[in-house]
Amino acid sequence: MHRRIRPVTQAFLPVVLVAIAACTPPPQVTLDPIGFEDWKRTLASLQGRIVVVDFWATWCVPCIERFPHMVRLHHQYRNRGVTFVSISLDNRDDKQAVEEARRFLVRQKATLRNYLMNENILEAFEKLDLVGIPAVLIYDRQGRLRHRLTGDDPNRQFTEKDVEHALAALLAGQEAP
Amino acid sequence: MRASCFLPLLLAAPMVFAGKYNTVIEIGMKAPSFANLEGVDGQKRSLSDFKEDVVVLVFLANHCPWVKGGDKDLVQVVTEFKGQSVRVVGLGVNLRPDDLPPAMKKHAARVGYNFQYLHDPSQEVGRKYGATRTPEFFVLDKQRRIVYTGLLHNSPAQMRRDGSVQYTNGQPVQHYVRDAVRAVLAGKPAPVAETRAQGCTVEYAR
Repeated sequence: MHRRIRPVTQAFLPVVLVAIAACTPPPQVTLDPIGFEDWKRTLASLQGRIVVVDFWATWCVPCIERFPHMVRLHHQYRNRGVTFVSISLDNRDDKQAVEEARRFLVRQKATLRNYLMNENILEAFEKLDLVGIPAVLIYDRQGRLRHRLTGDDPNRQFTEKDVEHALAALLAGQEAP
Repeated sequence: MRASCFLPLLLAAPMVFAGKYNTVIEIGMKAPSFANLEGVDGQKRSLSDFKEDVVVLVFLANHCPWVKGGDKDLVQVVTEFKGQSVRVVGLGVNLRPDDLPPAMKKHAARVGYNFQYLHDPSQEVGRKYGATRTPEFFVLDKQRRIVYTGLLHNSPAQMRRDGSVQYTNGQPVQHYVRDAVRAVLAGKPAPVAETRAQGCTVEYAR
């Protein structure tokens, strides 16, 4: 009996696999507006976890180029007590840009927490105390800002390796409290 | 401890400059020089070549939507000061292919840049000015001290993919560069010395 079924099973296996893949819901990717005050509360609520915040925008080419790295890190570390957050600094009043940001996140399968800063863009930079993006801020489990990785200093602009090293050091508990 | 005891300590401290939004320069300091940077017209120019009372340096990048969005207003400012002792100089320091001289030439011609547009392949001029965004403006007085750095005006504009331009805060009402230039020409301090420039990040080679 097995001899008769096996060829049939083998023939249909690819079809079954494709059907399963097709029926599996795509990873949930969202882009939620968040004001600065709500962001502060959200960040505070994440105490107990290491939090990596990636500030980006569709108009920022280096941000777009680096984003896949952040998604890879998210997949690599999400089960190790690390929460990854992306905050888009696209213009909230520009529907085209917001939609482009959302589509980009979907293409990247960015299943991290994705927010759109719901502030006037100049005020957003002011409130976040950012000069430019990309910028990555890393908070420890006590909610303290431990790494501020930016391009603000021409002679010390951060790299993807800097993000990895900072995260690894925090996870290993190598840093002084 | 008497106050004079602090003096040697102060003198021994390293000279570190930093503005409110700039990690390298600060308002009032002597502007870093640059020499022999090639422009889109093929001519090489140095800061010392410019004899005007005011020099406005602006770091630009062709690829950047904030540069494209601000191009019209930049050209307008140059036009506004035509015939006065004011020189505007654009500087490109990015090394992306779409920001290199061939692309700069095309961009300058298409947009109608009415000022020198120089490229620094060493990126040194950008490092010396601590320029990390495009566009980012620096206004220099006759003694070539930096009297203003930051935005052109209070409503930076972004060019969208469809070519339309969207201002961040509607029509500009505070024209920081124009006001700084006018102040220098009148022998007065710039009313606003430093703003947080808004634009694309300049990437420096490591």
